[in-house]
Amino acid sequence: MVERALLLCLLLLGFWGVVAKKNIIKKIFGLNILNAAAVMLFILEGNRIGTEAPILESDLALVVDPIPQALMLTAIVIGVCVTALALALAVHLYQITGSFDIDTIRERVKDAT
Amino acid sequence: MRPEDIVFATVMLPLLGAALAFCAKLLPKGRFAMAVEYAGALVGLGLPPLVLIVLFPVVFNGQSISGVVGLWSVGIGITFRFDGLAYLVNILGYTIGAAAWIYSLGAGPKGPAFTGVFLIQTAALCATIMTTDLFNLFVCLEIMGITSYVLIPTSGKPGATLASFSYLMVSASAMVFFLLGTYGFYRLTGSLSYGGISAGLQTISTDDTVLSIVSLALLVSAIAIRVAVMPLYGWLPDAHALAPHAVSAVLSGVLIKTPLFALSRILFLLPSGMEVGELMGIAGGVTAVLGVVIALSQEDAKRLLAYHSISQIGYIVAAWGMAISIGVDTPAGTSLMVAAFLHAFYHAVFKGLLFLSIGTTIDVANERNVYILRDGIGKLRDAGEKVPITFICFVIGTLSISAIPPLNGFVSKTAITYAMKGSLNYYLLSMAAVGTVASFIKLSRIYWPTGKRGRLHIELDDCLGTSSIPISRPPGLVARMTAQSLLAVLCVAGGLAAHHILTIVGTLFSSGGTNSAVLPTIYSGENLLKTGATTLGGVLLFFVAISKAGSTVLHTIRNRPRSFQGLFVSFSLGTAVLAAFLVVGKL
Repeated sequence: MVERALLLCLLLLGFWGVVAKKNIIKKIFGLNILNAAAVMLFILEGNRIGTEAPILESDLALVVDPIPQALMLTAIVIGVCVTALALALAVHLYQITGSFDIDTIRERVKDAT
Repeated sequence: MRPEDIVFATVMLPLLGAALAFCAKLLPKGRFAMAVEYAGALVGLGLPPLVLIVLFPVVFNGQSISGVVGLWSVGIGITFRFDGLAYLVNILGYTIGAAAWIYSLGAGPKGPAFTGVFLIQTAALCATIMTTDLFNLFVCLEIMGITSYVLIPTSGKPGATLASFSYLMVSASAMVFFLLGTYGFYRLTGSLSYGGISAGLQTISTDDTVLSIVSLALLVSAIAIRVAVMPLYGWLPDAHALAPHAVSAVLSGVLIKTPLFALSRILFLLPSGMEVGELMGIAGGVTAVLGVVIALSQEDAKRLLAYHSISQIGYIVAAWGMAISIGVDTPAGTSLMVAAFLHAFYHAVFKGLLFLSIGTTIDVANERNVYILRDGIGKLRDAGEKVPITFICFVIGTLSISAIPPLNGFVSKTAITYAMKGSLNYYLLSMAAVGTVASFIKLSRIYWPTGKRGRLHIELDDCLGTSSIPISRPPGLVARMTAQSLLAVLCVAGGLAAHHILTIVGTLFSSGGTNSAVLPTIYSGENLLKTGATTLGGVLLFFVAISKAGSTVLHTIRNRPRSFQGLFVSFSLGTAVLAAFLVVGKL
């Protein structure tokens, strides 16, 4: 139960980062924290039926549920892609406007068009 | 050849084409590289329609091709299902995709990288509609999202990068909540395929019902962001208005509808699906009205079209939600679903046409403001367009979206209103139709001749070298005209062949290869009278809107505060309302 409560805190922290932080790099950090919370929740879920790594050698009865782990590998890869793209967009915005602050960017973009 | 063997070609061929396009990027620039790129586009956009033709008899006879990817066992592998729904959405995607790609040859963005990403997007939307696995749906939606975050800023406008960034942040955060919803269902049922989840939910205890409802609410609102239903529409106008014209056409035409129809697969099976459909149907009706009001207030030509996409998606969601809430197996439900899809398809055609023809006009005139740009026909003629094809295309698109017979918009809007007569949404949609007419009268003013400036005047200016209005000569008029004419022909054909198309779509949506949908009477006196009244109302509304008081109201609506945080607040509120609605409905 404690783990779940901590993950909820992490999730809310990430969401708060995405919503409330003005700096777009910090927003991207927030997105990563949010993503990490979801990933860990899945891993925790797989943990309910066993604790061993799901490498099929011995003690099959003790291994964790491998499906959440397989899913999360994919989710992590997607998360990395999204982060890379978000950072690229952030750099591009910085080149256009000279700022990382979302409000300043919005104003300068409005002036530019 | 078994249909199972070739059904994946619709997803794999665009990916193969994308691989060819990226190979072309590695080659030194020149004729050969271009040939490889065009071959990639031909493989990715030209061959899949042939596959669809081969598959037509199978799907039309009511068979669905389903199975597990890679011949894994059912519990482990990814399940898929290719049926009438998937078939129709594929047709939608490939028609608009091909037209938009041809347009991009003339108008940009050009280059193998664009072609590659564009083809990946096409593959992703075919996969989205075929999958029946929750986690696979997550992956497909993310691929679709990532490709659009890449394609939107290719217009090079600063605002487009910001729009893409905002879209990325809100959509990626929403997808994390989608993942949480997936977690909820996996925890409850130990399964990820829709069939497995639906079977597993039959046996859960009442304590777990709340978890299943919250999970469903998370899934639905993450998808609703992509569909841009009110109140989750905030990212769309900037992204669609500032993207390159060809990309705008695909985003508005295909990308906001595919997730909606993919969602219907989930809602058919789950116990709370009907309630979700009911609530989304109401949201759709409201979206249709609010979208058109905001559209009427816009001054940027493409942003006006973008808000119209929101309004029209409201029509689709209204019919779609009502279909799900009364059950798609009933004749009434099937008719509504047919109407929803038909409007989605026809909207993609006429809105694509409008985005492309308006795109050509604003490129020629170097001006996007509806209040300033005038004499579009004259400017296009100066740019080298002997026959005013762009203007004709615009008129066809406008008449379609305003539901004037015999064009396709009239057919699909009549089919929707015919099927939902008497409900609340019927009145909401009728109001939205009036607003549509008014805002397109406003938009068509950009073509009105000014009278001040004749041919002689220009020549004189040119001689003296004092030409005050810079006319840019946009490259690639031929490619632009080809794409626009293609869509315009589809607009007219969709209207004229309405009866056959309604029958075919109805058969594809019914099980067992017989059409169980009720065929609406399209050309009845009552419908024509209603169209006349709507048009008249639209003209009146237009004059109200350009009056002094009207302008003030519209100015207020246009300059209403919009913020990045607003996107997230509306997402959280939307999810909470949906979950609360479902929980209250169950208890």
